[in-house]
Amino acid sequence: MSSNNGRPILEDVNVIVAGQGGDGSLTVITMLAELLRTNGLNVYTERDVLSRIRGGHAAATMRAFTGDRYCIGSNINLLVALDEEAVEKNARQLDSKSIVVYDDSGGPVPSVLPEGTKVYSAPFNRIAMRTMRRELYKNSIAFGVVGRLLGLEDETLRETFIKHFQRMGQVILEYNLEALGLGFHLADEMGIHKDEGLYKIKKTAPEKRLLITGNESVAFGFMVAGGRFFCGYPITPSSEVLETLQKWLPRCGGVARQTEDELAGINMAIGAALTGARAMVATSGPGFSLMQEGVGHCGSGEIPLVIVDCQRSGPSTGMPTKPEQSDLNLMVFGGHGDFPRIVLTPGHPDDCFYLTAEATNLADKYQCPVFLAMDQALSQNIATVEPFDLDGVSAVPGKRVEAEDIEKLGVYKRYEFTEDNISAFAAPGTPGGLSLVTGNEHNEWGLVSTDPVNRVKMMNKRMGKIEVAKKELPRGRHFGDSGAKIGFIGIGSLFGVILEAMEDLKKEGIKTQYLQPRTIWPVLEDIPAFIDKCSRVYVVELNAQAQLAHILIHQGADPGKIINILRYDGIPYRPAELVKRVLEAESGSKIKKGKKEAKLQ
Amino acid sequence: MTMQTHIKTFAPARPIWCAGCGDFAVQGVLEKSLRKMDIPPHKLMLLAGIGCSGTIQNNLPCYGYHALHGRVLPAAIGAKLANPDLTVIAAGGDGDGYAIGAGHLVHTFKSNPSIIYIVMNNSNYGLTKGQASPTSPMGYRDNAESGLDSILMGLSFPAATFLARGFSGNPEQLERLMESALEHTESKKGFAFLEILSPCVTYYDTHREWRARVYNIDEEVGYDPADRGMAFQRSVQLKDQGRIPIGHIFKGEHASLESLILNKTELPPAQHKIGSDGHREQYDKFIDSYMG
Repeated sequence: MSSNNGRPILEDVNVIVAGQGGDGSLTVITMLAELLRTNGLNVYTERDVLSRIRGGHAAATMRAFTGDRYCIGSNINLLVALDEEAVEKNARQLDSKSIVVYDDSGGPVPSVLPEGTKVYSAPFNRIAMRTMRRELYKNSIAFGVVGRLLGLEDETLRETFIKHFQRMGQVILEYNLEALGLGFHLADEMGIHKDEGLYKIKKTAPEKRLLITGNESVAFGFMVAGGRFFCGYPITPSSEVLETLQKWLPRCGGVARQTEDELAGINMAIGAALTGARAMVATSGPGFSLMQEGVGHCGSGEIPLVIVDCQRSGPSTGMPTKPEQSDLNLMVFGGHGDFPRIVLTPGHPDDCFYLTAEATNLADKYQCPVFLAMDQALSQNIATVEPFDLDGVSAVPGKRVEAEDIEKLGVYKRYEFTEDNISAFAAPGTPGGLSLVTGNEHNEWGLVSTDPVNRVKMMNKRMGKIEVAKKELPRGRHFGDSGAKIGFIGIGSLFGVILEAMEDLKKEGIKTQYLQPRTIWPVLEDIPAFIDKCSRVYVVELNAQAQLAHILIHQGADPGKIINILRYDGIPYRPAELVKRVLEAESGSKIKKGKKEAKLQ
Repeated sequence: MTMQTHIKTFAPARPIWCAGCGDFAVQGVLEKSLRKMDIPPHKLMLLAGIGCSGTIQNNLPCYGYHALHGRVLPAAIGAKLANPDLTVIAAGGDGDGYAIGAGHLVHTFKSNPSIIYIVMNNSNYGLTKGQASPTSPMGYRDNAESGLDSILMGLSFPAATFLARGFSGNPEQLERLMESALEHTESKKGFAFLEILSPCVTYYDTHREWRARVYNIDEEVGYDPADRGMAFQRSVQLKDQGRIPIGHIFKGEHASLESLILNKTELPPAQHKIGSDGHREQYDKFIDSYMG
C-alpha cells in the first residue's frame, strides 16, 4: 500500500458488509453505492437479512462496475466483517486476493479464510464505545477505512456523510463525522494512507441511470400504464410495491390501499376493476395462497387484474427474506376449476417496468388475471438501469363501450360471444350498459346458468381468449452464441447470473446460449423451439421440484434435453457457483447431496 | 333514464326465494326506496354475497355483482373508492357477513366508506339447508355458541356512523330505514349498516317469535340515536329482556373513507381516461427521484 502507482482502475469491485442486524451494514453499502454512482460507476446491491429488526446475521453486498452487470459477482474483493460470524458466513465468497476489514473487538479473526487473504483488524466496536459511548458508530468508523481502501478521497467520503446524515439532524451528523475521522485515523495507523487505496477511480460524469429495485419498477410500470387502484397487505418481500404506490399513486389521482388481509386486498381490487379502474395487487407466497379464490373468480367473471407475486422461500411461512421461484405451479395451475391466465417473468428492474406496463394492458384487453412472477432478489436488489422510456410505453384501453356505442347497438350483453372471445365492457355508471358479473357459470347476460350447451360454449370462450393473446404475448430474449449446443433457461433474478456464467464458461471454451422466457404461461412456441435447437438445456431454478421445467415439458418441451439445476437453500447464486454446477454436470461427475441434479424422464 | 328504455340488457330474474321468505320484503322496500330517491339503474352498483340473499342483484335493473363468499364488503369498498359517483349497495346474509366475512365487517365499521350494507339475517344457513349461523341461538341444531349482535359490535367503533335494524315483518319502518340509509350514503356521510331480520320459512321459521320480540326503538320517548352510550345501554337492556331493538339505533359523525383518501383535485380512479390522463409530470418526477 505504499505507492499509488500501478493501482488498477476500478472497473468491477464487490464489497460485502456483514454483521448483526442493526449494525448498519446496509447504511454503509447504501452510502458506498451512492458515492460510487456519482463517480460514474454502475452499481448492484443485494441484502441478506433475517425476518427481524435487530440481531441475527445480516449482510449487504454491493458491486460497482463499468459497463453492464446484472448480479453480484463471484468473488468478494472486500469483506467488512463486524463480527466473527460475518467472516464465517462469507468466507466461501473470498479468494486469495480478497481483503478483509475485521472488527476484532470480540476476538481474533476466525481461521476460515483462504490463504493469502489480507486482513486489516481493528476493534471498531470498542473504539466506538470508548470514544463515542455508542457502538452504533462502529460502521461509520469502518466506513473511513473502507473508503480509503477503495481509493476514495477523504473529502468525498465526508461529503457523502453530510448528504446522508444531514436529514437526521446536526447532532447525529456531527457524531458520524467524528466517527469517520476516527476511521481515517485508524486507516493511517494501518498504513492505508490518503490516495493509497486498492483502486484508482476514474472519475467520469455519471451516466443518466436510475438506481431502483424491481418492486419499485413494478409499481412505476403499473402507474405509467394507467394503473389507478392498488391493494396490498404488508408481506416480505413485496411491501415496497405497496409503499411506493402509496407515495405516488395518489398524486396521479389513484388509490393505494393497505387492506386488513389479502382476502380483502384481492377483492377490493376486484371491486375497483369492476368499475373500469386498472387494478393490481402485490403479495408473496402466503398471501398469494390466500388470494387463490379471488384469482379463479377473475378468470370466471372475466375481471381484469394484475397480480404480482414476489416469491420467497416456501412452503408455508418458509424463509421470508430468501429468494425462491417455487410459486410457479400456483401461478400457472393454482385455483379451482379451469380458467385463462397469463404469467409474465421479468428478469431485471427495467424488465419489471416494461412487463408490468404490458401486464396492465393485457389484463384489460383479455379480461383475465395476469401475473408477474418476481423473486425476492429481483424484487429487492437495487440496480442501475437506463432511464425508463416513457414514450415507449402506452396505456392501451381494452374493449370498452360508452353510452353512445350501446345506444347504437341497442343491446348490451356483458358476456357476449364474439369472434375474438372478448366481450365489450361497459363501466358501471354508463347509461344502458346494465350487466351482471358473477363467478357462477352464466349466460351472455351474466345470469346464472347450468345449461350444458352454454357451459361448454362459455368455457371455450374464456379459454379461447388465451389462444388470441398468444400472438402478442412477450417473447423470450436470446443471448449468447446462437449456434451453441448448450442452452440455458432461467427466469427472474437468475437472468444476470446466467449471463455472467455464460461469459465465464466461454473463457473455459464452452459456448452457450440463453433464452430468458418472459411469458411462461401460456408456454409460447419460443421455448420449445429453443430447446429443440440445443442438444441439452440447463433449466436453472430456485426451487426443489423443477417447477418451470415441468411446466415446459407439460407443454411439449423435449424432456430428454432438459437438465435441471435446482437450488433451494435460500442463497442467491453467484455466477461461479453456477459455472461449477454446469461443469460438474458436463463432466458427468457426482453432485453434492442435497442439491439434486437429475435428468427428467 | 330515457335511454334505458329501448336498450336491451339482462331481464331481471324472478327471485329464487321460498314463498313467504323475508327477503321478498327487503327487495320490495329497496326498489321502492331507490325509486323514491330517484337513483337511476345505471348509477346503482348492487353487490351481493353468497347465500339465498346473495341473488338479489339478479332481480332488479342495476350493475350487479355476485361476490365471493364473505367478500362483498371489500369489493363494494373497492367499487366506491374507484368511482364514488356510484350508489354502492352491498347485500348478503348473516353467514356471509358475520362468519366467513366477519373480518371485513369489522374493518368496514372502522373505515366508514359511503356504502350501504344490507344484511338479511335469518339466523341460519338457508341455502345449504339450515345449518347454524353466527346469529343462531344456543341450542338451535345443537349449536353450542350464543349468537352475535352485529349492532353492539358496530357501536364499539369510533368511526361507526349509521347502525340500524329492521324487520321484514314491518315494511313501513323498513322503508324509512332504507331511505335513511340511502340519504346517509348519498350525502357522503359514510357507512350505513342495516341489518334486516328476514325469517327463513323453510329451515328456521322465526317469523312469529321475532314479531313478538322486536322492540321499535324509534318510538321510544327520549331515545337519542346520537348518544352512543344510550344506544349501547338500551341494546344490552333490551337483549337481557329477550327483546330485539329495531329502528335507527345509532347515528354518529365521522369523515367518510373516500373523503379522506381520494385526491380532490383529480378525477376518481375509474374515471381516468386510459392512455391520456395527463400525469406525465408526475412520471418524470418519479424518474428524477431515482436518479442518483
